[in-house]
Amino acid sequence: MRKSEHIILSAGEKARRKILGFLGRSGLFAVTSVAALAVLAIIYFIARDALPFFREAGCSEFFLSREWYPTHQPPEFGARAIFAGSLMVTAAAVILAVPPGIFAALCMSDILPFGTRQVLKPVIEMLAAIPSVAYGFFALVVLAPMLQANGGPILATAWWAFALPTLAIGSVVAADLLTPERLAERAHRALRASLTGVFLLLSLGLLARVGDVLARLQISSGVNALNASVILGVMALPTIVSVSEDALQAAGRELREGSYALGATWAETLVRVVIPAALSGIFSAVLLGVMRALGETMVVWMASGNAAQIPKPWYNLLLPVRTLTATIAGDMGEADQMTGSAHYHVLFAMGLSLLVFSFMCNLAGEWVVARQRRKLRGE
Amino acid sequence: MRMSTRKLLDRAFTLSACLAVALMALFLLFVLLPIFGKGLGAYVFRGTVEYRRMAADQFGRGDEARVAAEWREVQAARRPIYAAVAAFQKELQEMPAARRKELKPMFRDVREALGELFGPEPGEPLPALTRRVYGQTRWDRALVKAGEVLYEETWDYSSGDGRRVLVPRMPRFEGTALAPVFSLVGRDLKSLMHPRLTFYPQFLTDRSIDIHFFGGIGAEVMGTVYLALGAMLIAVPLGLTAAVYFQEYATQGPVMSFLRSCVNTLAGVPSVVFGLFGLAFFINTLHVSPGKSVLAGSLTLSLLVLPTVIRASEEAIAAVPRAYKEGALALGAGRFRTVMTVILPAALPGILTGIVISTGRAAGETAPIIFTAAVSVGSLIRPSELLSQPTPALSWNLYNISTEHEAVDEIRHVQYGMAATLVLIVLALNMAAILMRARVARRLKG
Repeated sequence: MRKSEHIILSAGEKARRKILGFLGRSGLFAVTSVAALAVLAIIYFIARDALPFFREAGCSEFFLSREWYPTHQPPEFGARAIFAGSLMVTAAAVILAVPPGIFAALCMSDILPFGTRQVLKPVIEMLAAIPSVAYGFFALVVLAPMLQANGGPILATAWWAFALPTLAIGSVVAADLLTPERLAERAHRALRASLTGVFLLLSLGLLARVGDVLARLQISSGVNALNASVILGVMALPTIVSVSEDALQAAGRELREGSYALGATWAETLVRVVIPAALSGIFSAVLLGVMRALGETMVVWMASGNAAQIPKPWYNLLLPVRTLTATIAGDMGEADQMTGSAHYHVLFAMGLSLLVFSFMCNLAGEWVVARQRRKLRGE
Repeated sequence: MRMSTRKLLDRAFTLSACLAVALMALFLLFVLLPIFGKGLGAYVFRGTVEYRRMAADQFGRGDEARVAAEWREVQAARRPIYAAVAAFQKELQEMPAARRKELKPMFRDVREALGELFGPEPGEPLPALTRRVYGQTRWDRALVKAGEVLYEETWDYSSGDGRRVLVPRMPRFEGTALAPVFSLVGRDLKSLMHPRLTFYPQFLTDRSIDIHFFGGIGAEVMGTVYLALGAMLIAVPLGLTAAVYFQEYATQGPVMSFLRSCVNTLAGVPSVVFGLFGLAFFINTLHVSPGKSVLAGSLTLSLLVLPTVIRASEEAIAAVPRAYKEGALALGAGRFRTVMTVILPAALPGILTGIVISTGRAAGETAPIIFTAAVSVGSLIRPSELLSQPTPALSWNLYNISTEHEAVDEIRHVQYGMAATLVLIVLALNMAAILMRARVARRLKG
């Protein structure tokens, strides 16, 4: 009989358990809130130390001037060149990483058999796991001397390897598109062949021209925006690949098979059907890549040359630049000597700018995903 | 478009997709091979007699009597060199002024290079810096320094850009007393240095001597271990609780979705901003320590890995079959008891996987610890100092000795060794996590 007494709880026991449960729940909620609200604390404390700078120096010098002399008397805090450097390195990294990233994701999701994919996924994770300082070390000690010694030939080889096949295929496609359909088969073939030949010759000329210019380039310093961008691109690749791959997988089999049934080739199916369906996922993959490249510190600090200048012309990647993250990391050592100095606060202003930018990326990503979800639901 | 063109495009597309994957794998090799290949050189290398002397003096390693005997042997072999130097010095005094003026600076260079190669001349007082007490301890560096004895480095600007040209010094000293030095160093370097294959596993644990000129990376390794473990010690309880709450207790609502997007946002904060926050909050506001400390660094790193821990734990909890939970509830267990005795044990391998990956991340991060925990020059930190003192760490010191060290080129092997060790630690943790996850996946499949 005692057993049954145990199962049916007395009123007091019931209340005790209820209170205990409530307390436990509240405790869990409190801990969870601490973990989640840490980000608010980050915003608050970064902003708290950034505001004195904006109050004293105002925004216009910070955003518009390019004179960055924080240790001069009087100091000048024009961060435009540094913003430009961050923007340039990030943009170049993303441009370098997105096409191969999407292609690799396509390969993983649509070509490789399941077993191979299981092997490759860890390889990609390893690429993502290598510490950034090791990438920076590689950029500084291996890549930079290589670029400095044989930069021109390396760039020319890369150009030929990339542009020759692209332009060759482009010529064939362009010739096909330009040949009128109503011609007789033989005439059609002849015209197509001759057009292809003409385009090939033209593109060979272009290839040789650009290749020649690249081959003769002298890179005066191996630590420059190009070096940092290449490494940042490699670091952003794993994120781009795995997120896009998930999106491509999620597009589903029915979609692909419907397209094949209509007579589309594999490539046409992917470009016309699957990629548009997975576009929001791919977009958030690219955004994550942007965030990774923009927030990365060690690689740009070690590989970008740290010269606070806007390259001339603006697309010249072979000159050293300086980024926000590298400035924060590099200058805080001096600035921290006097907590409360303008130099200290300006670095927090840069941190705040980075924070704001990454929030905007986050919001944009969430917005796109939400919109896509609404679209799929058919609203 | 014609079918043939469409087929061509299709094939090109397939090919570029495969090439993209191959390119990634190649780049991984391209990065890892030099780091591991040359990193091995810090652990296994051809050590000279100077290395064995240094190890005996500084670490008390090796057979002292044998090192002393070898040292005498080498000194005997080096005697003609020092004799030639002394003789040339005398000869220099008696030379015509013009010739003396020409040869004197070059002689000074040779002597300096010899000093770097072989250490101080016999009878010279011991230099204050440990790096100058010994000659080159590694055969590869000894070859470089021997090259500096034999050749003069000049720059040729005739073609616009500077090009390095090595001019042999030998012909300039032809016929003087110094000439035998060049042939000795050129031909008999082995008998002057006694290179021998050396295994140096203690590189991982040894203290560094004279800022990494000799010795190992023990202080950095321990610093990294303390920082990463400290970060996990803070992040795991917090993250696990949050994951349990999100998965098992939370109800849908605006508060929960707000908390969730907070966690997502935390994952997107740049790592250097975590460092700023750690400085502004933990050190300058809370004053957890008088300055940088392992505690402040661990707190900062714990915030950085928190989102990863939460997500991995949530996924692991969500993967526990519903039947487990319902079975426990049906047996009369309360919600808390269900979580503790059924859900968490079942989710443990998945949670551990997330923890291991996060540990690797915490060990490899640099930016958050620059302002909160890392110090460039420091010795092994004692456990009692963890709460108040900064420490060297692999990631930060790799940056530091490869950019800010006064003799960056002389200690490349230490830099590579440090990079290889760091990458190896992180990748080993990741591999462990990947294997663990594969086992979990197999088990869930049944």
